[in-house]
Amino acid sequence: MSSRPAARRPAPKGEYIETDSGNKVSRRSAITGTANIMLGGRTVIMADVVLRGDLHSTRPVPSSSGKDVTPTSISIGRCTVISTGSVIKPPCKISRGQTHYYPIKISDNVFVGPNCTISAISISSHVHIGANVVIQPFAIIKENVKILPNTVIPANMIIASGSVVGGQPARVVGEVGEGWGVSGGGSGGGLGVGGGGEEKWVEGGDLRELVRSIK
Amino acid sequence: MAQPFPYTYYTCDCFDSNNPLASKRGPQPLEEDERDFDPHNPRSNYTLYPLEQLLYCEDCQQIRCPRCVAEETINWYCPSCLFEVPSSVVKSDGNRCTRNCFNCPVCTSPMTTNSLDQHGDGPPYILACPYCKWSTVEIGIEVEKGTGISAQLAKIANGGHPIPSLKERDKERERKKELESRRREKDAMSPTQDSPTTDTERDSTPSHDDLFYNLSSFYKSQIDAQTPSNPFSSAEINFSSPSAYSRIMSMYSSSSRKNKRSKPAPARDAASILEGLSIHDPSNDAQAIERIKREGWSTTLQPSQKLAQPDPTIRFSDELRPLATLLCTKRSKRCRSCRHILSKPENKITSTRYKIKLLALNHIPRISMRALPSQYTQSSSAPSATATPFAYDALKPGIPTHFLLHISNPLFDPIRVTLATPSTTPGKVQSRVTILCPQFEVGANTDVWDDALASSLSPIKHSAQDAGQIEAGKIWDRGRNWTSVVVEVVPGFLDGVPGLASSIGPGAAPPTSTNDGRKRSGTGALRDVGEDDGDLNYDEDVLEIPVFVRLEFEADVNAEERGLGDSRGSKGEREKREEAFWVVVGLGRIVEI
Ligand SMILES: [Zn+2]
Ligand SMILES: [Zn+2]
Ligand SMILES: [Zn+2]
Ligand SMILES: [Zn+2]
Repeated sequence: MSSRPAARRPAPKGEYIETDSGNKVSRRSAITGTANIMLGGRTVIMADVVLRGDLHSTRPVPSSSGKDVTPTSISIGRCTVISTGSVIKPPCKISRGQTHYYPIKISDNVFVGPNCTISAISISSHVHIGANVVIQPFAIIKENVKILPNTVIPANMIIASGSVVGGQPARVVGEVGEGWGVSGGGSGGGLGVGGGGEEKWVEGGDLRELVRSIK
Repeated sequence: MAQPFPYTYYTCDCFDSNNPLASKRGPQPLEEDERDFDPHNPRSNYTLYPLEQLLYCEDCQQIRCPRCVAEETINWYCPSCLFEVPSSVVKSDGNRCTRNCFNCPVCTSPMTTNSLDQHGDGPPYILACPYCKWSTVEIGIEVEKGTGISAQLAKIANGGHPIPSLKERDKERERKKELESRRREKDAMSPTQDSPTTDTERDSTPSHDDLFYNLSSFYKSQIDAQTPSNPFSSAEINFSSPSAYSRIMSMYSSSSRKNKRSKPAPARDAASILEGLSIHDPSNDAQAIERIKREGWSTTLQPSQKLAQPDPTIRFSDELRPLATLLCTKRSKRCRSCRHILSKPENKITSTRYKIKLLALNHIPRISMRALPSQYTQSSSAPSATATPFAYDALKPGIPTHFLLHISNPLFDPIRVTLATPSTTPGKVQSRVTILCPQFEVGANTDVWDDALASSLSPIKHSAQDAGQIEAGKIWDRGRNWTSVVVEVVPGFLDGVPGLASSIGPGAAPPTSTNDGRKRSGTGALRDVGEDDGDLNYDEDVLEIPVFVRLEFEADVNAEERGLGDSRGSKGEREKREEAFWVVVGLGRIVEI
């Protein structure tokens, strides 16, 4: 129940602003440094999500044209869903008294459950993150990983693809099955229940249907 | 909670292979009540899997779960640095990373290599835990280089003392043995003098490692002493040689002292510290107790911390060692009964693709249950869009609630489905379950194109006006390859049971699942065993409905070679197939009224 998207909660009309590439961004999200954020298309940013795009790398970016290049601090891929109340904050290191931020990269078809705090350096595609998960700075999450609710992933931890992790601190507690993310031949009818408007997606799978259903 | 409500788990036949499962008993599992699948039975923990974890053997035409497949390791890799470890290294060095990967001995978090240098980039280096902040400084270990940590750590004992290498150990052992034998001789010469028991070697108790190497070298010498000089071994007796002849003759002669001397002493066990014998010394215990009195419990270790250590006999936190990261494997899986490969990942560590992958979800219908949207059940309610999501974790006892059971068919043939469920759920909380339409057809899985083209096929339109029109014997809705039927559930009362849910209400801590595929923690299962006092056990307020599913369909005879085409003239040949299994739908958690 915890990883259900909160999409069905009552929302004012026009909760989402839809961009040209099909991104849906809640009017109630808190996004700073918009210029430093890249959304891949058909990605959903729900209400009360905080994206700290303003925390970008302060190191000079080499550019051939001599012009200033806007550094990217948060890049999110396609069909990724960031659920309500989650915070995405680029990781930082302090060296010689200075704080340096590093860009955070979240790939395609990643589901981030509600009320997560994420400072990973990269999250690969088809990753399912449960509710209330904390990912500490510079962690790397590979493809096809399931993170159980309430997990705390320590800084710098690397999670190999196909793992199920849980606990505080996180440890690998299992493997996702061979069928992870495969919705199966029945995808036409899918998981959804006719007339119910329920999810037609599976954890770790293609989130297009989920994105479509969020209004 | 590993799986949010409502979830569906599938059983595999193998859990009960001694009593052939319902599939062989025909479509009426209700006839034998005691055979109903009980999801609250502790054994059920090991038989229920989410569909994506199951494979399917096309030759046996059966579901294959993690218990009924045989695994073969393709390669080993470190989950932390993602380097492949050759099997020869695994054999010689064990299944741990030999590079720089370590886990914190206190909290298991992966450790990072930090520099103690002021500028943060130079020796000395330490291993530090980013989670609990434990570091090798606490055991007095610093290393000179930032890489090859495990090789460096192997040479440093806690406190920074060097660990002798194997050769040095051997030399040292020989030296001590010599000392001892010399002393013995001395004792023999002057027996009146008491031999000094307070000699330096005996004072310091040898480490676990010392004892291990002493014992292993002792055994090696014993084996060496036994094997080569056996006078009766047939390999050594060469009858054509005169020496062998004389040896045999000497066996019969009465005075064969020479021969006796050449016989090895019978194998014996270790008799001294230098041979790896460790005699329990009560004074050690007394010392440990004194230390605990002095320093408190906080310096002692948890059992899990001890057991993770290379030396699990340690007691105190200053004896901890960083734990080299355990390796992971990539494995292929075979059917246990016919040995066919069911899944084979690509060899490369970084690849997530499979060469072969026979998934159950391509053969077994996906079954899910959802609450019937409220606008269909309450005829009076306005069709407002503000329908609150159904609270699966707060099912109300005694109130009939309608759910939709949805079956979608992955097969390219239409299937005939028969569902059966016990009228009251097994377990202490008895909920009544009625499937309103237990027999129906589900269409074939065709191209997604057809779905778009045949949108007119979906014949049953439900509107708010239909409310209350839920009819027994009729399906609720269907589409290209799916059908849904209504299930009426009356959740049981928790307080029908003494010692009710006060201790396990919805606010209680959720079970800590150890495996995605397992639904409950071991503790929950353990408590079930032998504790039958009528109290509700952990998770018994979870409404889980066992449903027996039987499928009948006609398929091409060589459907398993579908990929190769049906070119062998057997196109028209069809055969009847049957498939039967239990599923368990975890619908939600019942609350008290
Ligand atoms: Zn099995
Ligand atoms: Zn490693
Ligand atoms: Zn730690
Ligand atoms: Zn088989």
